Amino acid sequence: MRAGELKSAVFRLQHRYAPYVFVAPFVLVFFIFMLYPLVNSLILAFYVTSGPKSQVFVGFANFVFLLQDPDFHTAIHNTVIYASCSVFLQLPLSLGLAMLLNQARLRGRNFFRLGFFSPNLVGQVFVAVLFSVIFIPKFGLLNRVLHALFEIPIDTKWLGSPELVMPALVLTSLWMYVGFNMIYFLAALQTIDVQLYEAADVDGASPWQKFLHVTVPGIRPVAVFVIVLSTIGSFQLFELPYVMLESTAGPDNAGLTIVMYLYQNGWILGDLGFASAIGWMLTLGVFVISLVQMGLTGSWKTDA
Amino acid sequence: MSATKAVVYALLVAAAMVMLTPMVWLLAASLKGPDDLFSYLFFAPTLSGYNFRQLFTEIPFLRFLMNSLFVTGVTVLVQLIFASMGGFALAKYEFRGKKPIMVLMLATMTIPAQVLMAPMYELIYRFGLVDTYMGLIIPSAVSVFGMFLFRQSLLELPDDLLQAARIDGCSELRLYWTVVLPVARPMIGAFCLISFMASWNSFLWPQIILQTQERFTLTIGLNQMVGLYSQEYGALMAGTLLAVMPVMLLFFLLQREFISGLTAGAVKG
Amino acid sequence: MNRSLSEYLPFGKAPTVILITTLLATVYLVVNPVATPDSTLRLWTFARNHYLAYVEGTPAFEAAHPGTRLEIQLVHGDAVSRRLRAAFWADLDVPDLVEVGIDRAASFFRGPVDDVGFIDLTPYLESSGFGERIVETRLAPYRNRGRIFGIPHDVHPVMLAYRRDIFEAEGIDPTQLQTWDDFIEVGRRLTVPGQRYMIELNDAKADEFNVFLYQRGGGLFDADGNLTMDSDIALETLVWFTPLAAGPTRIGASLGSTKILTQAIETGYFVTLLCPDWRTKLLEIDVPRMEGRMALMPLPAFEPGGRRTSVRGGTMLGITKATADKDLAWAVAEHMYLDSEELAARFRETNILPPLRDAWLLPAFLEPRPYWSNQPLGKLYADVADDTPPWYTSPFVEKAVEKMGQVVAACGAYYRENGDAGLRDFARTRLGAAADEVRRHVERNPF
Repeated sequence: MRAGELKSAVFRLQHRYAPYVFVAPFVLVFFIFMLYPLVNSLILAFYVTSGPKSQVFVGFANFVFLLQDPDFHTAIHNTVIYASCSVFLQLPLSLGLAMLLNQARLRGRNFFRLGFFSPNLVGQVFVAVLFSVIFIPKFGLLNRVLHALFEIPIDTKWLGSPELVMPALVLTSLWMYVGFNMIYFLAALQTIDVQLYEAADVDGASPWQKFLHVTVPGIRPVAVFVIVLSTIGSFQLFELPYVMLESTAGPDNAGLTIVMYLYQNGWILGDLGFASAIGWMLTLGVFVISLVQMGLTGSWKTDA
Repeated sequence: MSATKAVVYALLVAAAMVMLTPMVWLLAASLKGPDDLFSYLFFAPTLSGYNFRQLFTEIPFLRFLMNSLFVTGVTVLVQLIFASMGGFALAKYEFRGKKPIMVLMLATMTIPAQVLMAPMYELIYRFGLVDTYMGLIIPSAVSVFGMFLFRQSLLELPDDLLQAARIDGCSELRLYWTVVLPVARPMIGAFCLISFMASWNSFLWPQIILQTQERFTLTIGLNQMVGLYSQEYGALMAGTLLAVMPVMLLFFLLQREFISGLTAGAVKG
Repeated sequence: MNRSLSEYLPFGKAPTVILITTLLATVYLVVNPVATPDSTLRLWTFARNHYLAYVEGTPAFEAAHPGTRLEIQLVHGDAVSRRLRAAFWADLDVPDLVEVGIDRAASFFRGPVDDVGFIDLTPYLESSGFGERIVETRLAPYRNRGRIFGIPHDVHPVMLAYRRDIFEAEGIDPTQLQTWDDFIEVGRRLTVPGQRYMIELNDAKADEFNVFLYQRGGGLFDADGNLTMDSDIALETLVWFTPLAAGPTRIGASLGSTKILTQAIETGYFVTLLCPDWRTKLLEIDVPRMEGRMALMPLPAFEPGGRRTSVRGGTMLGITKATADKDLAWAVAEHMYLDSEELAARFRETNILPPLRDAWLLPAFLEPRPYWSNQPLGKLYADVADDTPPWYTSPFVEKAVEKMGQVVAACGAYYRENGDAGLRDFARTRLGAAADEVRRHVERNPF
C-alpha cells in the first residue's frame, strides 16, 4: 500500500506542478532577457548617456525634449501615415482579394494563394534590397513599366525625392503584406455559413447589403486581429526603410520612422538614455492604440 | 463560364501578375550578364551564370547559408518545444500566475527590440556569448507569439480526452507527448514556418552580435555586400534569390498546415 | 494503438525536415570550424579599399614584429559605429584599432574626456615627430579638449572630374573656367534638361552643397565646436546654389540613386563631377569604359584668385583603451599610416592622398594615370592639398548635415514654386530654424 500511495502522491504532484514546468522556459527567458534589460532601459530613460560610466541624471528632460523635437514629430507623422495606409489601403485590398479567391471555388485557388503569399516569405531585408533596385530611376523595372503604360516620366526619383519616398515604402509594403493578410481573411470568409448568404438573397439584399450584414460580422474577430497586428507591426517599421534608403532616413527625412529615430539617437548620436525614452514612448503609444482598437471592436468580451 | 466568373479570374490573374513580377524579375536579374542588367527588362537573350560565380567567389555564400540554416533550425526547434509546452499550460491548466503571465506576454509583444539592444548586448557579453551562435539562439528561445498560437489551438482540445488519459495513469509529460502534439500538428506546421521566417530573415540582432565574418548569417552577409561592393547588384540579386529559396521551399511543403494552423488560431478569436 | 508513422514523428513532418537540415548544417560547421586566429591585435575598418591595403601591409608588419599576429576585419560602416558603441557601452570587447569616419568620430568623444574610449595619441605623435609632418587641418578634427584621439587617414581635397572628350567636341577648354561664374555660363549652354547636365548636384541633400560651403570658407562648425551653419557665408552660398540645382535654369541634377552612376557618366548625363581623391578610384573601378576620357582640374574659384579646392569626407584611426599593448598598437598605426613605402603602395590602390606632406614627393604620386588622360593624379591633388579647408567636427555633425540637407531641399522646393522672389528671406528663416534645432541638441549635452 505504501508504494501505491507514494506513486499516487508523485502522480498528483507532477500533475499539480506540470504547468509550472511547462511555462518555466518562458518565465526564465523572460526574466533574464526581457525583464532585466527592460528595467535597465527604464532607468536609462531618465539619464543622458555617453558610455558606460558617463551618465547624467536628467529626470524627465529626455521626454520633454522628445515631445518638442520637430524630428520626432516628423517620425510620428511618417509612421502614422504608413500605419494608416497599412490599415486603410492594404487591408481592404487583402479583403478584396480574399473575397475574389473565395469565389473561385475550384482549381487554381492554391496557386493563387501561393502566388499572393510568396512576397511575404522573402523578409523585409531582402524585399528592401530587391526593391531598391526596382525603384532605380530610368533603368529600374518600375519606372520602365510605368513609363510604357502610363507615360510617367522615366526618371522619377522614387527614393531620391522627398515626396515619393513614403509612397515607395507604402507600395513596397503593400506588395509584401497584402497576401499575408489575405490568408487570414480568406480563412475567415470560409467559416461564414453559406446559408446566411442564401437567406440574404431570399430577402432581396443587394451585394453591398450582403457584404455589410453577413460578411463583415462574420469576419469581425479575424479582422480585429489583423488590424491590431498590422498596426503594431507598422509602428515598428525599421528594416524596410533602413535598407532601401541605404542606412539613412531619406531625403528631407521622408523615410524617418519612430524606430529609425530611436536608432539614430541611440546608435548614431550615441545617447542610449534618450533612445530608451523614445522606446518607452513608442511602447506606450502602441499599447494604448491597441487597447483602444480592441475596446472599440468589443473584443475584450469574447476573450476566452 | 459566367461573366462574373470570368471577371473574377481576370482580376485574380492581373493581381497575381503584379505580385509575381518582382520575383520573376529577381530570377531574370540573377541570370543576366554583367552589362545586361539594365539593358533588358527581364531576361537577356543569353542566360549567364556570371552573377552566381561572382557571388560565390566574392563572399563565402555557402558559409553564410550554413550559418543561417544552423541558427534558424535550432531556434525553430527550441521555440517549438517551449511554445507548445507553454501554450498547452496556458490553455488547459489553471494555476497561480496564469493571468499575470498572460498580461506579461501581451506586453512583451508590443515592445520594440531596439530599446532592449544595449542592455541585452551587455548581458550577452557577461554570459560570454558575444559572437557565438548561442548568443543568437538563446535570447529568442521563447516565442510569445507561438505561445499564443498554441494556446488558441489547444483551447479546443476536449478536456474529457485529457481527463480520460489521466485516469489511465498518464503523466502530464506523456500527455503532452501523445495527446497534445498530434492534435496540435497543424499548428506545429504553421508555427514552424512562421518561426523559420522570422529567424531566417532577422537582421539587426545578428548584425550586433556576430563579429567574425565566418559566423555571419545570410541577411547580414548579403547586406554587407550592398555597402562594400556597391555596384555588384547582379551578384546581390543572385544571392537574394538563393537566400529566399529555403523559405519558399518550406512554404511549398507546408502550405496546407500553415494556412489552416495560422488561421485556425485567428478565426476562433 | 496503431503504430503509424506519426507515432515516430510526434512533432510532424515539418520539424523533422528542419531537424534533418539543421543536423546537416551542424555537420558542415563542425567540419569547417571557424578558425580562431590567435591575433595579438585587431583592426577594424569599414572601407573595402582600406581593408585591402591593410591586408597587404600586414606581412611586412608581422615580419618587423615577430610573434605578433595582426588581424584586419572589414566591418560594414554603420556596424562599426553600432558595435563600437555597444562595446564601449558594455565596457568590453573592443578591437585594438578602429577606423571611424570623420562625420561620426566626434560622437565618440562626447562624454567626460576621461571616459572617451580612445587613448590620447599626443605623446606618440610628439615622440615620433609625426605631429609636425601631418597636415594640421586634418589633425584638428580629432582634437578634443586638449587630447588627440585619432590620426587622420587622408586629406581628401576636392577637384572637378570631367569628360574631356565632351568638352573637346564642344570646342571648350575647361581649364579656362577659372571662376564659378565662367563655369555657370558654359553650363547653361551645355545643359540639355533630361539629357545632359553640366555637373552633378543634389537638390535634396547637402552633399554637394557642403563642398561649396567649405570652399567658400564657411562650414558647419568652427574650431571651438560652435555651430556656424547659419552664418552669412552659408546664406550666400545657399542663395547661389539653389538656382543651380533646382528649377528651370539649373545646370546640375542628381540621379536619385547611387546605383546608376556608371550609366550616367557613360552616356554623358553628367559632364563634370565634384571629385574628392577617394572618388577617383571608385570611378576607375565602376566606370572603366571611360578610361582615357576623364580628366581632373581644380575647382573653379568663387572669385579670381580664390581657393580652388574643398574637402569631402575623412577617416581617422584610433587606438582604444582596451588594447593590451599601446606601444604595439601605435606601431601598427605608424606602419599603416605613416610609413612611406606603405603609403606609396596604398596610394596606388586607393588614390587617397595621405596627410603626410613629405610623402607627396614620392614617385608613386607623380605617376601619370592613363584613366585620367595621363595626368599625374597624385601631383594634382597634392598641389591643392595645402589649400584644403578645415572640417571641424562635433558630436552633432551628422545632425547638422541632415538639417542642412533639409534646408537645401526646402529652398529647392521654394525656388521651383516662386523663383527668386523672396528666396533670400526664405533661406535665411529656414537656415536659422535648422541651426536652432541643432543647437537644441547641442545644448542638451550635459558633458
